[in-house]
Amino acid sequence: MLSRRGLIGGMAAGAMLAPADRLIGKPRMGGRIRVAGIVASTADTLDPAKGGNSSDYMRTFLLYSGLTQYDGALRAQPGLAEAIESDDNIVWTIRLRRGVHFHNGKALTADDVVYSLLRHKDPAVGSKVKAVAEQFAGARRVGTLEVELRLTGPNPDIPIILAQPQFAIVENGRRDFSVANGTGPFILKSFAPGIRTIVQRNPNYWKPGKPYLDEIELIAIPDELSRVNALLSGDVQMVIAVSPGSVKRVKASSSHLIMETKSGLYTDLVMRQDHPVTGNPDFVLGMKHLLDRDLIKRALFRGYATIANDQPISPLDPYYNPGIPQRAFDPEKAKFYLKRSGLLSTRLPVYVSPAANLSVDMGSILQEHAAQIGLKLAVNRVPSDGYWSTHWMKHPLTFGNINQRPTTDLMFSLFFQSKATENEAGWKNPKFDRMLIEARQTRDEAVRKAIYGEMQWMIHRTGGIGIPVFISLLDGYDRRVRGLQPVPLGGLMGYTFGEHVWLDA
Amino acid sequence: MNVGSIIRGARRLPLSGKIGLALVIFWIVVAIVGPFIAPYPPGSFANEEVFAGSSSEFWLGSDFLGRDVLSRLLSGARFTVGLSAIAVTIAACLGTGLALTAAVGPRWGDELLSRSMDTLISIPSKIFALVLVAAFGSSIVLLTLIIAITYVPGNFRIARSLAVGLARLDYVEVARARGEGRLHLALVEVLPNMIKPLFADIGLRFVFIVLLLSGLSFLGLGLQPPDADLGSLVRENTSGLAEGALAIIAPAVAIASLTVGVNLLIDAATQGKAH
Amino acid sequence: MSGASPVSRWSGPAQLVAKRTGLALVTLVLVSAVIFTISGLLPGDAAQELLGQGATPEQIAALRHEMGLDRPAVVRYFEWLRGIAIGDPGQSLVANKPVADIISERLPNTLILAGLTTLFSVPIAFLVGISSAVTRGKATDRALNIMTLAMVALPEFLVATIAVLVFSVKLLWLPSITIVPQDPTLWEFLRAYAMPVMVLGVGVIAQLGRMIRAAIIAELDRPYVEMARLKGVSQRRLIFRHVLPNAVGPIVNAMALSLSYLFGGAIIVETIFSYPGLASLMVNAVTSRDMPLLQACAMIFCATYLLLVLIADTVAILANPRLRQG
Repeated sequence: MLSRRGLIGGMAAGAMLAPADRLIGKPRMGGRIRVAGIVASTADTLDPAKGGNSSDYMRTFLLYSGLTQYDGALRAQPGLAEAIESDDNIVWTIRLRRGVHFHNGKALTADDVVYSLLRHKDPAVGSKVKAVAEQFAGARRVGTLEVELRLTGPNPDIPIILAQPQFAIVENGRRDFSVANGTGPFILKSFAPGIRTIVQRNPNYWKPGKPYLDEIELIAIPDELSRVNALLSGDVQMVIAVSPGSVKRVKASSSHLIMETKSGLYTDLVMRQDHPVTGNPDFVLGMKHLLDRDLIKRALFRGYATIANDQPISPLDPYYNPGIPQRAFDPEKAKFYLKRSGLLSTRLPVYVSPAANLSVDMGSILQEHAAQIGLKLAVNRVPSDGYWSTHWMKHPLTFGNINQRPTTDLMFSLFFQSKATENEAGWKNPKFDRMLIEARQTRDEAVRKAIYGEMQWMIHRTGGIGIPVFISLLDGYDRRVRGLQPVPLGGLMGYTFGEHVWLDA
Repeated sequence: MNVGSIIRGARRLPLSGKIGLALVIFWIVVAIVGPFIAPYPPGSFANEEVFAGSSSEFWLGSDFLGRDVLSRLLSGARFTVGLSAIAVTIAACLGTGLALTAAVGPRWGDELLSRSMDTLISIPSKIFALVLVAAFGSSIVLLTLIIAITYVPGNFRIARSLAVGLARLDYVEVARARGEGRLHLALVEVLPNMIKPLFADIGLRFVFIVLLLSGLSFLGLGLQPPDADLGSLVRENTSGLAEGALAIIAPAVAIASLTVGVNLLIDAATQGKAH
Repeated sequence: MSGASPVSRWSGPAQLVAKRTGLALVTLVLVSAVIFTISGLLPGDAAQELLGQGATPEQIAALRHEMGLDRPAVVRYFEWLRGIAIGDPGQSLVANKPVADIISERLPNTLILAGLTTLFSVPIAFLVGISSAVTRGKATDRALNIMTLAMVALPEFLVATIAVLVFSVKLLWLPSITIVPQDPTLWEFLRAYAMPVMVLGVGVIAQLGRMIRAAIIAELDRPYVEMARLKGVSQRRLIFRHVLPNAVGPIVNAMALSLSYLFGGAIIVETIFSYPGLASLMVNAVTSRDMPLLQACAMIFCATYLLLVLIADTVAILANPRLRQG
């Protein structure tokens, strides 16, 4: 029986990238780079809890540190916590690293951690992970550098969950986030919401020798073409989210490279189960067979995607079930199921939006194939603005866009559990809910893997979503920037590039 | 005007005007018959290759999804030409109608209309359109209306300044003294004398609408797929620009030839020597 | 005031300014009401947009209360109106700072871009318009005509994209995004602004140039020009002393429209060059449903437009004696 005890304890910080360091040479100190993200608005924040987009996450990881950190295989590595241990997956002991200081000189103590963890439960904070933090029954200081976190129920994934950017550690009692006082690799130099963030090297960073760069400027260029142009013209040295269509251009440049990060990100067709048409099991099956996964992978993603199978767990996930047969694009089968559902002649609108990555084009493809078997779909493109609050999940057929979450449990509990607010399709399955709890309670990895495998089957068979592909994340960077490694949770090393990269002369 | 006088007028146009006229007629024809002569359905993924070059099967190559560019162009022209024409007609009718009302009506009416128009015109048109589309959606009818409304104040300004100038002229005063009603003054005395400069304005505004429509497509507020106007065709294929894909050059040339054609025609028609 | 001649020269404009200022206030209130009404029709609100996809209803309700969005719209509108009357545009719902602070960060950017574009394009537009008008029908006119036509014929985003591909990506001459370094040298400053100014300038030069040409040609057709020519007035003197002053009305009007476009219409240029100006701020305010910020932007655009039109009208009256009586 595998105990969680000591699972992440004892590993040296920074060890995770050691082999890579040997391959790409010795890091060089100094230099300045400018990085372009996608989003900048007046809502830009220095409060980790409020972070809600890729630019916020990058800013968080430049300025703050978490108790744990992700590695390239979706495992948790020690961060500010030297060890996180539990015997029962309910009561967790967090031992903090010694000698860590905030940017203002204050030493990191258990009080900071207790405050940082519990503040997510306060509605006034407006935390993006409030729902996750609801499982924290309480946290208390045990010693100067020791915290006890008590959960409402067992959860073996706590070390991984705590690596999320929102759980980054802030100073005890901090409410004013017009300035940033973290323990991160960089110190805030200037911050203009919607315009730019400039940070400079933290000489007292707790990882010896890091970071390498003197200064990083983070801006945002929302338009993809402009972003790639800025990279190619040398105005920025790194860009997040290059579209597959631009990869050829970047690769053609002798001084730029592309990093492909395979991820579990997907754009999915959401069929509401509480609607008489889209809730019909035959209709759902028909639509799933209408997804031209190969065309989507080839034309929309130029191959930078992995064919998916209408269930949300990607092959990157350790709990991925490879035994589920692949569902193929098959108009004949689709027609058969749609005819059987008696709904072939209904005319339904599909809501698409640039907000959901490439859903507009996926919608067009679906519409075209549907028309060929006699099903009329009206593609209704709505602006990004307001899409998530007013359209997504609100009509019988919409497109969603779900980022890879760090754990299998989170993917299931956020998007498929019957009572989850973001249960996209409104898919209700009591057996699935029971299995989710069971997987949390078991201490046997093999049992958990079997349970998760069965749950993937269930979604594949009866779930109300069609997932055509898992999308690879593509980042572009100047050849002189070194030290980048894919981390599947997001672009630019899961947004943590800051402390890892250096600039070659 | 009868057909004969139009042909005579066309003959009298200078060369630039004739070119303009030819382009305009060409696009009107394309707008009408385009969808029927398109070799492929505009939405079908006819070509495995994306951004393919010209070939005997695909005269203008394929777009970013492997669809036939020529077919999409032929189908898209009707939206650009038709939607812009309808929108400009609505805008001109409303704008000029209100301008005439302002010119012959009581002073407070003029003031009220002018203030309301100032209100509309001072909100940047693209942002105005963006808010309206976000609030009401973007079906073809709404899009046309939104664009039309956006251009009413501009037309009103021009038409009003023309109409107010004319309304002060002696012959209008004479007619007013004769006891003619306001409707008569507006439609019989004032309107015919402002037609020519007004058409110049309408032509220009047509061009602006074509460009606004493509600007809206840029901001993701254009027509609903699978429909696509010429501007959306340019926009959706911008990733092919660096490799010089026909998929983006062809619709860009189409827009340019349409707008240049309209402009040439207006220039020639309004500045021709014939008085 | 007693009726000496200077008074009669200035009383027209003075009256105009006084009257227009009053009307401008009315227009501003109208604009604010229109904006408030339309944005009330937008789906969602600031609380929802800020909390994003995964927010719980209680969280939204709490934030709504904190933002004061749970009060009736009319109450919020009049409160905002009262604030603006005493010069306080309020607190941004999203950014947690005063609207005035956010605006003061962005307004200079927009002013600089608009100012540079004006400096760059207006002289060229005059040059184009005048040379085109005086060579009416000849080769120069035709060439300029085709040039300006081509310049208005392409969508702005395409012009901008092509310019970036050529000057930034291929030739590496100019930056593809507009980031002004702190304490720039004049050279750095001009280099940073070169691209957006050029792209915006293309449209302004073409439109303004064509208007100037038309206005001058309209004057050239008048009988007094014929008379002056017969009297032997030189071409240069004729254009600059007689024709231009008379054509100034339509020209300044066209200029006013072009310049107000540089304020709010720069949205595409701001997007492509990722330049933090007012237009993108306003779009941002629409997306995040930040009412006070949206209203403030709208007020600025509206006031700018009214001011420019007022200046244009005043100049037209001062320049053209015939209008002064009217």
